[in-house]
Amino acid sequence: MSPVRRDPRTERKRSRSWTAEPAAEAPLKTIDDPACLVFAVPDLTDDKLSSHDRDMLGAARLLADAQSGAVVVVAIAGEDDFAAAGADRLIEVGGDAFTGYCPEARATVVIAAMAQFSPRHVLFPDTPTEGGHVGRLVAARLGERAAGNVQHIDGTAIERRGAGGSLDYVMAAPRVLLVAPEAAAPVSSARFEARVIAETSAEGDHRLIDGGLQPIDPHAVPLAEADFIVAGGSVVSPWDACPGAAAAGGATEGASRVACDGGAMARDRQVGASGTLVDPRCYLAFGISGAAQHLQGIQRCQRVVAVNTDRHAAMVKRADLAVIADAQDVMAALADLMEDMRRGD
Amino acid sequence: MAIDVAVLLSAGRHPVSGRGRRAPGDHRALEMALGLSLPRAIHAGDPSAPMLGDYLGMGLDGVTVLDVPSDADPVPAFISYLEAAPPDLLLAGCRAENGEDSAMVPYIIAEALGFAMVPAVAEIVSIDDGSARLLQALPRGQRRAITAPLPLVATVDRAAPPPRQSAFAKARRGRIDIIDAVAPTDIDRAAWQVRPARQRPRRLGTQVSRLSAAERLSALTDVPAGTGRQLVEPTPGEAAQAIYDYLIEQRILTPPAKAKTKDQSP
Repeated sequence: MSPVRRDPRTERKRSRSWTAEPAAEAPLKTIDDPACLVFAVPDLTDDKLSSHDRDMLGAARLLADAQSGAVVVVAIAGEDDFAAAGADRLIEVGGDAFTGYCPEARATVVIAAMAQFSPRHVLFPDTPTEGGHVGRLVAARLGERAAGNVQHIDGTAIERRGAGGSLDYVMAAPRVLLVAPEAAAPVSSARFEARVIAETSAEGDHRLIDGGLQPIDPHAVPLAEADFIVAGGSVVSPWDACPGAAAAGGATEGASRVACDGGAMARDRQVGASGTLVDPRCYLAFGISGAAQHLQGIQRCQRVVAVNTDRHAAMVKRADLAVIADAQDVMAALADLMEDMRRGD
Repeated sequence: MAIDVAVLLSAGRHPVSGRGRRAPGDHRALEMALGLSLPRAIHAGDPSAPMLGDYLGMGLDGVTVLDVPSDADPVPAFISYLEAAPPDLLLAGCRAENGEDSAMVPYIIAEALGFAMVPAVAEIVSIDDGSARLLQALPRGQRRAITAPLPLVATVDRAAPPPRQSAFAKARRGRIDIIDAVAPTDIDRAAWQVRPARQRPRRLGTQVSRLSAAERLSALTDVPAGTGRQLVEPTPGEAAQAIYDYLIEQRILTPPAKAKTKDQSP
């Protein structure tokens, strides 16, 4: 035994980020002479790759690697770090035709790109109104037999779910694949070239007219599905301003465990480990200090805004924008501001 | 103006007992169609299936059944039947509960007939002047308004209003018109390997397997750190403005100028 004792805890490096971000020094992989091409057409909702898009790119990577091919991302109206997501090549598609909902124009562009580069496979994320729809339009126009709801990829064989989710079909990968979420792990170990091989812009040929998103009653949306949540803690009282802020911003209301115990909110509005695990795009917390159970409930939130008087609260550390002030006053001011802006003053 | 609506009805399958039933997408489509006019209902498959009574009991006079074997591809039969008398609006469920369940049938029919195609419809707002105003169901309870020209194929989302009950007497009275159809046997499908669906484990927070055990644990249990912009002791007005600006910047809220033009458009 050596005389000096080592303390392994001091040597352990703590991971700072919870998602597996590819490190900056990830090796660059280049494929110069691919045997075939695999197209990946991400949805790029909000102009960014969604986690479903990244899973689909991971699936494209698997198919390409099994056949020494290259992944070509067809990026329709959107930009992101495609090199880190696994793209060897990039086809950039821009133009006014792609503002709003335009599945038919997207299908036309993909078919044109397929005619130009003749890829062996074309992958879409199987989302009901976006990728899954565009992919099925493409398959129907080309007379291809698409494989929807692809669950797993093993070499060039795929497993897709059918018969109302009761059977799995194993088959050779067809030309058009619609990939379910989590069918493959996203690319994280390497960077790829993402070399631009074509830039196109297309004329729209859509028959559908997009009327835009409709205002909905945010309270009709279950908390687990809400897009934007305004939540209050026990210090928030009276509760009049919180609904005001929520209603003006079109947000769903939530509350902490203490606020629900106090009867300020119904139990189905409780956020946290013993309530609902939420994953909105934005979580706005008024006077919530951030108990571990509450933070667990908002673990998958993309953005957190916290208003709290305590600068050292756990919620303030978690927040992307923290305001050290009295929650009650800020809530009232925000409700007024939103109402003014909505009326267009 | 009476509009000619047709509905595609498929045989459902109860997920637990495996018994035949109305397919959950299709009976919503039929409910939606019954709200417009008395639709033509079309089924491809076995004309003696008891579940046809469940559809008839919702208030149909009759169902047209294209008699095709269960291992055949029903799409050519649908296309030849619909080409003879094309409807203005063709409704179907988003996906079947039996067979390949690829959700491709409405797409292939729309392509063959040259119809426009709208997926995941939650509500038909109005139909006039040769176009239909629809609400499409999106994730997170959102709705998108779409105006589409007739003739049109639309698939009905599970967010659409639930169907009425099926009445036994109406089901008894309902007529089943059998049409012999030519259906090619599905050759490709014979090559597929079929097995019972296996639930795959859901992915946990981290995906990188080369991390150490301690790092994987901390990835699952640690609280993710925010990007941490802090505003210390602002006035309520400043704080509200800062939060509002952040929400606009992150596109959580629509900027007022845009919102105004949206309000003015019909």
